[in-house]
Amino acid sequence: MISKKKTIEELLQEWQANPEMQDRVEYVHTIPPKPAKLVDFPSKLHPSLVKALHKRGIDQLYSHQREAFEYAINGQSFTAVTPTASGKSLCYHLPVLQAILENKASRALYLFPTKALAQDQKSDLNNLIEDSGEEILSYTYDGDTAPGIRQKVRKAGHIVMTNPDMLHSGILPHHTKWVSLFENLQYIVIDELHTYKGVFGSHVAHVLRRLLRICHFYGSHPIFICTSATIKNPKELAETLTNTQHQLISQNGAPTGKKTFLFYNPPIIHPTFGVRRSAILEVRDLARDLYNSNIQTIIFAKSRVRVEMLVTYMKSLTAKKIQDETIRGYRGGYLPSERRKIEKGLRDGTIQCVVSTNALELGVDIGQLQACIMTGYPGNIASAWQQAGRAGRRQDDALIIYVAQSTALDQYIIKHPYYLFESTPEEARVYPDNMLILMDHLKCAAFELPFSVNDTYGEFEVQDLLEYLQEEGILIKTSEKWHWMSDSFPAHDISLRSASQENVVIIDQSIPAQTKVIGEMDRYSALTLLHEEAIYLHQGTQFQVEKLDWDEKKAYVREVDVDYFTDANLAVELKVISEDKSRQIGHAEVAFGDLMTLATATIFKKIRFGTHDNIGSGPIHLPPEELHTSGTWLSFDQPENWKEDDLTGAMTGVAYAMNSFIPLLLQSDRSDVHVVPQVKATHSEKPTFFVYDRYPGGIGLSERIYDLWDELLHHVYEHVKSCPCQNGCPSCIGAQDISAEGKKQVLTFLKTILLAELDD
Amino acid sequence: MSYENKILQMKKMRKKKPESEQNAEKVFKKPDVPTYAKQWEDAGLKRIDNKFGIVFLLEKHYSTNYKHGDFYLGELYNAFQLWNNTEQKHPLALENDNNLVFYDTETTGLKGVGTQIFLNGILEAEPGGFVLKQYVLADPSHEVAFLWESKLWQANKTIVTYNGKSFDWPQLQTRFTLHRKDLPKLPEQKQIDLLHGSKRIWKDDLSRMKLSQVEEEKLGFHRIGDIPGYLAPIIYLDAVKNGNPSTLLKVLEHNEYDLLSLITLYIQTTKLLCEDIKKESATTYTNIGKWYGDLAETEKSSELLKNVTKLYKSDEAGYAYYHLAFQQKKQQLFEQAYLSFKSAIPFIKERQKIIALIELAKIDEHRNKNYEQAIYYSQHAYKLVENSIIWNDEIKFKKLREIEKRIVRNERKISSPGK
Repeated sequence: MISKKKTIEELLQEWQANPEMQDRVEYVHTIPPKPAKLVDFPSKLHPSLVKALHKRGIDQLYSHQREAFEYAINGQSFTAVTPTASGKSLCYHLPVLQAILENKASRALYLFPTKALAQDQKSDLNNLIEDSGEEILSYTYDGDTAPGIRQKVRKAGHIVMTNPDMLHSGILPHHTKWVSLFENLQYIVIDELHTYKGVFGSHVAHVLRRLLRICHFYGSHPIFICTSATIKNPKELAETLTNTQHQLISQNGAPTGKKTFLFYNPPIIHPTFGVRRSAILEVRDLARDLYNSNIQTIIFAKSRVRVEMLVTYMKSLTAKKIQDETIRGYRGGYLPSERRKIEKGLRDGTIQCVVSTNALELGVDIGQLQACIMTGYPGNIASAWQQAGRAGRRQDDALIIYVAQSTALDQYIIKHPYYLFESTPEEARVYPDNMLILMDHLKCAAFELPFSVNDTYGEFEVQDLLEYLQEEGILIKTSEKWHWMSDSFPAHDISLRSASQENVVIIDQSIPAQTKVIGEMDRYSALTLLHEEAIYLHQGTQFQVEKLDWDEKKAYVREVDVDYFTDANLAVELKVISEDKSRQIGHAEVAFGDLMTLATATIFKKIRFGTHDNIGSGPIHLPPEELHTSGTWLSFDQPENWKEDDLTGAMTGVAYAMNSFIPLLLQSDRSDVHVVPQVKATHSEKPTFFVYDRYPGGIGLSERIYDLWDELLHHVYEHVKSCPCQNGCPSCIGAQDISAEGKKQVLTFLKTILLAELDD
Repeated sequence: MSYENKILQMKKMRKKKPESEQNAEKVFKKPDVPTYAKQWEDAGLKRIDNKFGIVFLLEKHYSTNYKHGDFYLGELYNAFQLWNNTEQKHPLALENDNNLVFYDTETTGLKGVGTQIFLNGILEAEPGGFVLKQYVLADPSHEVAFLWESKLWQANKTIVTYNGKSFDWPQLQTRFTLHRKDLPKLPEQKQIDLLHGSKRIWKDDLSRMKLSQVEEEKLGFHRIGDIPGYLAPIIYLDAVKNGNPSTLLKVLEHNEYDLLSLITLYIQTTKLLCEDIKKESATTYTNIGKWYGDLAETEKSSELLKNVTKLYKSDEAGYAYYHLAFQQKKQQLFEQAYLSFKSAIPFIKERQKIIALIELAKIDEHRNKNYEQAIYYSQHAYKLVENSIIWNDEIKFKKLREIEKRIVRNERKISSPGK
């Protein structure tokens, strides 16, 4: 194989001359370069900082960096919207260092969503400090911090960089060891604000309320500095998260290079069913061209399985080279040391191509990548821009290729590329009101400091809830206060990250004497990914699950070499527990309230690589997972002249499309909400669509859908109608049997029944 | 009903407060006396009122002739004498110090600010004997009164504990920090942690270092009807919740045993460190010899280890020879070191055996200039490393390469002498 170094421009020209590419690239969009908007240093800026900036060749600031500095020194919490590579770190480093230079007792706490980001930022900050010639101590504090220096971090660290999990279970419950930090805390920096959404964000909102409570106890009143990617509601998110008012910096003064977007649609291979060639195979071919042209590329795939499949495919390019490390996978579930190695390889250029889940959307500094391929739409505009931002950092040309999958959402995007460029990005929401999350953190807060009988917590009145904790035997009330009275350590039982509290550990027993843990997975995902006989992929290596010990939460795997992967089905039962609100839309009734769901993994299929044929199946025997959550539902009268089977088919098709469009309406992951159709719901005996949050207690997503049913169903109708397939396809209502008139029925159903009911 | 369902039923109780500032700093207010105060007094606890509230005290006196296990408490003074008579420096060494405090706590949990100390057990010398003061937290709101009364904030005390360096003392610091508005700062006190000493002395001799096990096997004290320490939190919580202190008194007894054993443990530890070899195992004296070695008390260390090699059978003295050899090497007594290593080898484990063989090879190469012999020992070590399962492959290869280098170097010295 001949590989020749090419520029992006050269490769694009080559592709333009290729008729096949011309056919498949449905749209090209170019964003011209944007010059920088520069302003002078603020006059108050400490001479040592001026010196440090000069040393790095910086003689002026971007406009947003100066704006940030002014807000901070005026004691005003703020949130800055900063795309990738816009010099966001100076927005917080400058005011923080200024404060410390003015008063050596002053302290700052930096929060990053992951350990990796904190460690990355530390080297950046340390370089800046070194250039200033001042002695300012900054440390990361996380699970990797050596016990020997922990004491020093606590007592002497001017800047402590950590993550919410460590703050939650390693710092706040031990706040007496951090007196010098909490007494003098002037700034709390929250980087990557947009990542704090949904369940995780709701937990972090409470961790921050606990943090402020501790600060007030020690007499400090810190200011928040947040930086966020572009989302619709950065100010609102920051305010809900921190329970503090914020100013917003939305104008960015950083320059950008020229960006070329290609919208690539895989060819239709089965016109009747509208089936397109697998996006993964297309990505493989595109990535091969980039690899052979020596263009450093990042490929985003949506699931762990896809990452592993792509790594397997891509590694065949280098199969003949010994110990070639130029192509790597990167995703959650890898061990930290492995991830550090990959990050380094990307920075120093030894890795040419990395395949990642959205773990790398975040600001992990991997230097400049030239191209980015998105395997499918990441689900929302903000993520799409984050991923695109990975290519062409600083002022270089960048190539972004969006490869559509067959799903409704993906096809919608490729038909409406302007959706990406012209709509405002989605909202990110947190829901600190979730009762389970609130109670979890109320316990932690009570452990950290006794509540007095007239205390509140954050924005909550909690005396009644404390009373409940006393009844549970966790607290004891004396004349003035509620005291923690239990030998447990509540923060250990509460994980900020996963819906289910316990993860399944994956143990490789390929070599009996050397069993080792190679990763972990949340319980809900494990139902369909780690059942016995499942093929689990890790760094491109296939493992078969030999035994899943559900009680002990351990999956034992062994390395295998087979030509298929597995895919499992999940059956869901539903029960309405309470109806909090309801209203009529036409003849239909929509409601919102509490639901109980029961998810059972039923069967799995074996699917061959390459052709994606179904080559076998088997049952899964696992106990059902119970979930008490909030949901919204729409019920309507049983239509006349419809056979139950036909109605089931039509409703399933509509649910499929709805599932795809909900992420368009809310900024949520596809997996955050679930749509379930029932021809005869248990509570009303009527045909009903349920939409519910996939987290105990709910996270406020389905509550928003309650207000958006109308919009959602019209959206679905328009899309299914305009889909070019004949009988329904994965892009609209899901794949259908050959003979079925699925699509016609869905459209009839939508038009004559559902929308008619709504519009009446 | 599941936990989750129960919590979600409580949604109605979740309210938001109107926008307003939290009430600011409060001045100290004496908490109410718990309703069960009389009950606790009736059970024999003395109520003390101070400016911060109340605290309960159980006080007990012991004469110097009081026997706990194999020892009289008064032997503590003999121990001070023993230290007085030695020249070596040792971290456990104490003089007749009036401010010596044997200290042990019982807590409501294991860590974090939510864990409170509910019992401060303090055992001190007094004229004619010893006094035990056990301060009991009246309820969590009376913590300031409880901490104040302990007087541990007074300076210049020496605190003797079992695992106190990493547990009891940091816990106490946490509590003082929490109430720093009302209490004086807890000073840094001199700390003697006997768990550390026990670990050094009885490593590989005792299987566990729990105080109760050390008592039984080394101090001749056997607890009868003792409650296990891990139940202490639940018992205290129960006493506060229902007011009945009867089981709590069992916790006080447990704490009393711990403190008395601290004195006898200190006595026994001192004897082992200062006196000649008596009835303990070769392992114990070897440990002590090694400890002195690590403290750079080379002479004392050598003397002790040499005595072990004389007084015990050679199969028990393997490690004594092994550590002695290093002391001798340090003193440049290479011939003696060489012999000691050789005596050690048949009776020590693989890891140390490999080290000893390399040491022999080093002496043969650099001192004796006996390169054939150096090669012989190196090859022996090589074989052991090769077949060992102690290390992973990477470390193993590294070690093998090092030995290989040594062999090659010696071979070169044989073939071209003088270079």
